[in-house]
Amino acid sequence: MPGPGPTYASRAGILARRTAPLAALVAVFLFQTILNVDTVVVFPLYLGAVLMGAILEERLESFAVAGVAVLALLFRPMMASGHTSEIGPAVLLSAVTLGVGTVVNELTRHSRSVAAAAQHRVVELSAAERSLRATLESAGVGLALAGLNGNWLEVNQPLALILGRSRDELFRTTLAEVTADGDQAALRDGLALLRSRDVMSWSADVHVVRPDGAVLPSALLIARLPTPPIGDATLLVQVSDISARERAQSIANCVAAVRQVIVSSSAVDAAMPQLLEAFSGYLGWSVAQYWAMDSETHTMRVRNAWNTGGPILEGFLHASRGMSVALGSSMVGRVWKSGVLSAEEDLEKASGDERLTAARSVGLHSAVAFPIVDSGEVTGVIELVSDHARILQDDEVTMLATAGVEIGQFIRRSETAQALKRSEADHRAIYEHSPFGIARISSGGELLEANPAVLRMLERDEEAMRQTAWPELLRAYDQVAARQRKAQFLAGITDGSSIQVRAATSSGKWLWLQLTATSIPDANGRPEHVLVMVEDVTAVRETSDRLNEALEAQREANANLERTDRTKSEFLSIVSHEFRTALTGIQGFSELIRDGGLESDEVHAYGGYIFNDADRVNRLIGDMLDLDRMESGRMSMRTTDVDINDVLMEAISRAAPSAVTSEFKSDLDARLPIVAGDRDRLIQVVSNLVNNAVKYSPEGGTITLSSRVDGRFVLISVSDSGIGIPPEEIGHVFERFRRVRSGAAQSIPGTGLGLTIVKQIVEMHGGKIWVESALGHGSSFHFTVPLSPEAVKAMQQLQHA
Amino acid sequence: MREVDASGFKVLVADDNEVAQRLYKRVLEKAGYPVLIAADGLQAVDLALGQRPAMILMDVAMPGIDGLEAMRRIKAEIPGMPIVIASAHSMASDRERFLAAGADNVLSKPFQLHDLISIVEQLANPK
Repeated sequence: MPGPGPTYASRAGILARRTAPLAALVAVFLFQTILNVDTVVVFPLYLGAVLMGAILEERLESFAVAGVAVLALLFRPMMASGHTSEIGPAVLLSAVTLGVGTVVNELTRHSRSVAAAAQHRVVELSAAERSLRATLESAGVGLALAGLNGNWLEVNQPLALILGRSRDELFRTTLAEVTADGDQAALRDGLALLRSRDVMSWSADVHVVRPDGAVLPSALLIARLPTPPIGDATLLVQVSDISARERAQSIANCVAAVRQVIVSSSAVDAAMPQLLEAFSGYLGWSVAQYWAMDSETHTMRVRNAWNTGGPILEGFLHASRGMSVALGSSMVGRVWKSGVLSAEEDLEKASGDERLTAARSVGLHSAVAFPIVDSGEVTGVIELVSDHARILQDDEVTMLATAGVEIGQFIRRSETAQALKRSEADHRAIYEHSPFGIARISSGGELLEANPAVLRMLERDEEAMRQTAWPELLRAYDQVAARQRKAQFLAGITDGSSIQVRAATSSGKWLWLQLTATSIPDANGRPEHVLVMVEDVTAVRETSDRLNEALEAQREANANLERTDRTKSEFLSIVSHEFRTALTGIQGFSELIRDGGLESDEVHAYGGYIFNDADRVNRLIGDMLDLDRMESGRMSMRTTDVDINDVLMEAISRAAPSAVTSEFKSDLDARLPIVAGDRDRLIQVVSNLVNNAVKYSPEGGTITLSSRVDGRFVLISVSDSGIGIPPEEIGHVFERFRRVRSGAAQSIPGTGLGLTIVKQIVEMHGGKIWVESALGHGSSFHFTVPLSPEAVKAMQQLQHA
Repeated sequence: MREVDASGFKVLVADDNEVAQRLYKRVLEKAGYPVLIAADGLQAVDLALGQRPAMILMDVAMPGIDGLEAMRRIKAEIPGMPIVIASAHSMASDRERFLAAGADNVLSKPFQLHDLISIVEQLANPK
């Protein structure tokens, strides 16, 4: 079974090595035996073989080789009796051989095991180094060995990555050269302390600078390693990228700052610069601008801006201030439209946004814009611009988006609060300066507060108002409310009902106050207090009272006018009816006469009808004209001294000739004083009454005229025993055209104006007229004419006498 | 003129004015129509129901019940009775009022005699 070559060869080698000393011994023994050489002579050869065995073989084999050599040495003296003398030296040589072989073997083995151990150590060491290096390379942190001056001796790959250089490039720099200028001094101090062994390790958070200028926050730890026996002292340098930690910290700080501003501010305009400063400062942006919605133009404009300073920003800020962004245009407009954050790492690629592309040319590099959102509506945009390349990390995006919502809510809250504050201030101002009195009343009826107008109105101070004036007003309110069947003041007024009450000022002036009460409910809807508006309506009330009087008078005048108007048209209607009735006969009979063919007695009779009706029309016209003159006050009275008894007698003498069936009686007061009056008119009055008496006494009868003094008047009566007036008509006999036309009266002619004219004349004399009547028993008309003042005096003197 | 044609066409005249009564009587009888006279509304109703005239000439302003009330009562009993309201209330609104109250025709006072006759003839000889 042929194994692989090397294995076979090594086995062959091992066999050769193992057998070589024995073969040498055999060769020496044969040489001695054959040549019969003296033992002493060949001894070095034996010793050489034994040594070979001792060196090449393990302990047992080496001992076996030595034993064989001893036997070979002793063999000749023992076998050849002639060589007895050689026995002694042979034993000695054998012992030497055995001893040397054993010692050499031991030594060889020892040295071999030492070498093996050393070899083993070397293997172990190199393995350890490999794993160490692997660990080093795979470490998350940058590790390096450096000289006491910061020159790199050894660097791992992570460090090269952190510092943005290859290892070779790195070896051309020093620790100081990759550190930001701001941290150089601290680093120098640290290295000095390490060199002087004042400290054995030093750490600091520093910024390292990459060749592209990017600055990375890093945690630096430098430890001085124990100085090796040979070589220089070295430093172990550990650099870890803490930008993530730093960013997280910045973000946390920024969030804290934003929240702090939000909770401690009330006005947006005061808070916004602080918010922008927080974004700029904590997150490292050169410019922060707040674009707010201009609701009139529906564009966004910069309302607040914050920047880290520097002349290069001026142009950009200026360009931003002068700009109105429309929905959807430029980065701000796109954020406004989409409602999501938008970032531009390299402003050169900010397509369609000239302001930002121009910003790139003045050294600004990256920008981000995020929406201010309230209830899902974008109300503004915050734009951050950086002067170096910024790749936005997820946590920063999340933070900005969240901040946008929080700020949006804050703006809404603050605007609401502002509006509330304004309206509160407005209300307070109204309360203080209102010309109307305003008072707040507790649900128990006590005055809580009264504004200056109330106090002024009633000329009271607040104390007097509370103690006396208000309780009086409350009582007055309830009294009026009770009269008007309205709710009492405390009986749950919610309707803003108004009541006017009388109230006295402290100087005793009486006012009309209008109290309008409205109950103000608390959060649970229960009436918490009552708001009372107090108005001085004295002037209004007085004016309105006067106005009411005037209105009342006007109304009455209107009603009269209306009545007059109605009366007038009724009058017209009646008059035209009367005329046409009269004309019917006139026209009809005259047409018959005109057409001829009539007997002469017919013509005579018809002529009579025509004459009577024409006469009636004539009288009607006369009466109407009289009445019109009297009613319009255009009839003048020719007042003279009148003897009423004379008037009565005159009337009788006029009526008597045509009143053949009536008997006239007179009952006159012979001592009747003379009165002032229009004699003809008074005769007209009496004649009318007498004619009526005759007309309405178709069966004939007695007509009595009487006169007497009644107080300051002369009382005249005309009584008949005729048909009388029905009770339902008696109240209307003096009205125009109210002729009694029922029963026996129906064929009694008349214009219907006589008694109306009579009444007018009596009243023009300052007297009165009235009638008493019983149907079927006759009527009595009475009228008075006032005595002259002299006559009254005379009468009184007479009575006294 | 048409005495023969008209004979038997009895006309009831209701008017409180004696002169008017005489005029109607004279003119209508001459034209051949027998005339009944009522001096007030109640009388008119009585005569209309009792005598059954061929038509009625009715004044409005009469003592007692007026002409319109009399007409209403008569029409309630004899709906087909032709009634002509003859009134001195001669405004246009009056004419409407009377027709609305049920009058078959209206004659305004004062009237020309041939108007009176032609109104009666129309009713006596309907086409």
